[in-house]
Amino acid sequence: MTKPIQRIAVNCGGGYIPGLDAVVAGAARVAHGLGWDVVGIHDGYDGLLCPERYPEGGLLKLTAKAVEALAIGDGNTLGTGARNDPFRMRAVNAGHEVEEVDRSDDLLRMLAEHGIDAVVSIVGGSSITGLHALSVAFKLSRKGLRTICVPKSVENEIASVPQAFGYNSVLSHVTETLLRIRAGAQDVGRIAVVEVPGHHAGWLALQAGIGALANAVLIPEMPYDLAKVAAAMAAHERDGRRPALVVVAEGARPASTGAAEGAPSPPRSGGLRASLTPNADPDFGEGRYVIDRSGAAAQSVAATLQRLTDRDALPLALGPLVRGGAPTAVDRQLGLAFGAAAVRALHEGQSGAMVTIHPPDIACVPLVETLNRVRTIPAASEFVNIARALGIALGD
Amino acid sequence: MSLHTEGASKLTGRVLNIQHFCTNDGPGIRTTVFLKGCSLRCKWCCNPESIHPRPELAYDLKKCIGIKECGLCLKECPEAAIYVVDADGKVRINWDLCTNCGKCVPVCPSNALYEFGRAMTVDEVLEEVDQDASFYRESGGGITLSGGECTLQPEFSAALLAEAHRRGINTAIETAGNVSWEYFRQVLEHVDTVLHDHKLTNPERHKAWVGTTNVRIKENYKRAYETFPDKRFVARTPVIPGVNDDEEHVRAVLAFIRPYMNVVDYQLLPYHRYGETKYGFLGRVYQLKDFDSVPGETMHRLQAIIDEAFGRTGTPTST
Repeated sequence: MTKPIQRIAVNCGGGYIPGLDAVVAGAARVAHGLGWDVVGIHDGYDGLLCPERYPEGGLLKLTAKAVEALAIGDGNTLGTGARNDPFRMRAVNAGHEVEEVDRSDDLLRMLAEHGIDAVVSIVGGSSITGLHALSVAFKLSRKGLRTICVPKSVENEIASVPQAFGYNSVLSHVTETLLRIRAGAQDVGRIAVVEVPGHHAGWLALQAGIGALANAVLIPEMPYDLAKVAAAMAAHERDGRRPALVVVAEGARPASTGAAEGAPSPPRSGGLRASLTPNADPDFGEGRYVIDRSGAAAQSVAATLQRLTDRDALPLALGPLVRGGAPTAVDRQLGLAFGAAAVRALHEGQSGAMVTIHPPDIACVPLVETLNRVRTIPAASEFVNIARALGIALGD
Repeated sequence: MSLHTEGASKLTGRVLNIQHFCTNDGPGIRTTVFLKGCSLRCKWCCNPESIHPRPELAYDLKKCIGIKECGLCLKECPEAAIYVVDADGKVRINWDLCTNCGKCVPVCPSNALYEFGRAMTVDEVLEEVDQDASFYRESGGGITLSGGECTLQPEFSAALLAEAHRRGINTAIETAGNVSWEYFRQVLEHVDTVLHDHKLTNPERHKAWVGTTNVRIKENYKRAYETFPDKRFVARTPVIPGVNDDEEHVRAVLAFIRPYMNVVDYQLLPYHRYGETKYGFLGRVYQLKDFDSVPGETMHRLQAIIDEAFGRTGTPTST
């Protein structure tokens, strides 16, 4: 028989998103109501596995008083473990050699020693670090850890999760930023080509682009033809709309090649030194497509559009800036709700699952249904229809 | 001790790659053998595929022909670590679930999935190295072991270098020196030229950028200089912007090496990002992706300090 839960831990993998404390507070409030003790683990699982880094302790006791402060703050008290991995922990061995070791068994033992019966993990999406946190939770679940995950994402691409925590805040900040850029560009007659996160899914580009009434939005799901974008912008101008804003998801790619257009080529390796590096030939593979090189898509699109429109095009990449700022009211509410739902799911005996929202309901889906999948924009999405109806070119 | 035995020639090592016609890895034209496994984690590493000691999976998205035509790897993976992205119909790897079992590699018709590293015997390596023998004779070149850290495979490296010597081939290694003295000594006995890195001189800064302190490395180097007075040591620094591109570092290295007459040169290797693409193939994040090269002006200034210390004038030494 499964041991009744008396104590849970909350931690956060993946990258920073505003308002993570709301999720922690939501989970802790409900757990306290059930008579459970709650602790937070600093920096993913590092608070447990690397106690030497935390002079005041790697675990934070989440008392009712502590939670009260978290509930009204905008911060991230526990920290994140974006690149921490209990299955491949970097360590220096007795022989001074750096190596990666599997400490997942240590982790499970330490959780047991601290009387932690289950873990609520806030995990990310499909970026390398986001997928990583979800995969770690999945593997720990397979090893017997009782866990419920809370989805957070900048790109809103987590499968089975129509709205991840944090996305609304990011969308709000990006839309506001695009409006400012648009006004500035329009004033001086330039075209701002703004790159936003979105390797595999263009939700952020599309929704923010709609919000800022961009002239064009380019997303990974729809390979684009910049000649069509230029033609659409010329039509906008004839209609009295001065073209000023193109939004590009970083994974958007041209229709002609099926590969990310032009990210500036990786440094050419024609020199002698290059020949000494195994497989360093840039033609050996298309690193630009798989390596996160922020700004590449914007530069490429801006260069081509400038040629096609004979207007100054200004490439900009928002990159990590989109994660800043305060959480929106929607996210604060969603964070509290997700945290609460995660603990309720544990109380109901669920494990190895992720909280999701199907308005107005909050439910859980098995982790295996979210892992290795990306929630992309369907061609028949209402958001696509709305963009077209508003005269926003999609480059298709 | 003679390593020329039947057993030694059959010793197996983990080899990443064999590169021909190299001119910067020791005297003359050389064949460089890259071995798998490294005991450091330099943030600027240009050979990330050499770090892990065992063969590991790599994936080149450009070569994937997509699941409409293929999809064989999806069925083969026992860990469900391969998945499809609808946007382009090509597969991706969940590197956290992948166990490097390699089962997906033989079924991939386009070689999008492949492995870095393979087992080779001393004989097999030398068979390939021997193809360049005429170049060695003309140029004074030979074989260079690199990595990774070649001294982490001491028996294989020693046997390979000893057999090369027996065949009259000049030997060199590229090393960062972070191994036990016993391993280091075992390999050094069979080396003519030791190209050895001085990445950072401050132990804590070394730990921050390279993963561990340089205390043992410096001990090894001093001991090597003193134990092998007849061997030729060449100190080297990969010059990384904002890390060690300063006079203080160069002068500290010079102070360390100049008392030893067998350290015949100190070379600066300009930072480059040729390895960046490979991070993508391995599903890793290249942390220095936004760094540019060190300006030529800085390199010349640092080189001038070295030339002065070695009593050289005129054109700076090529790296």
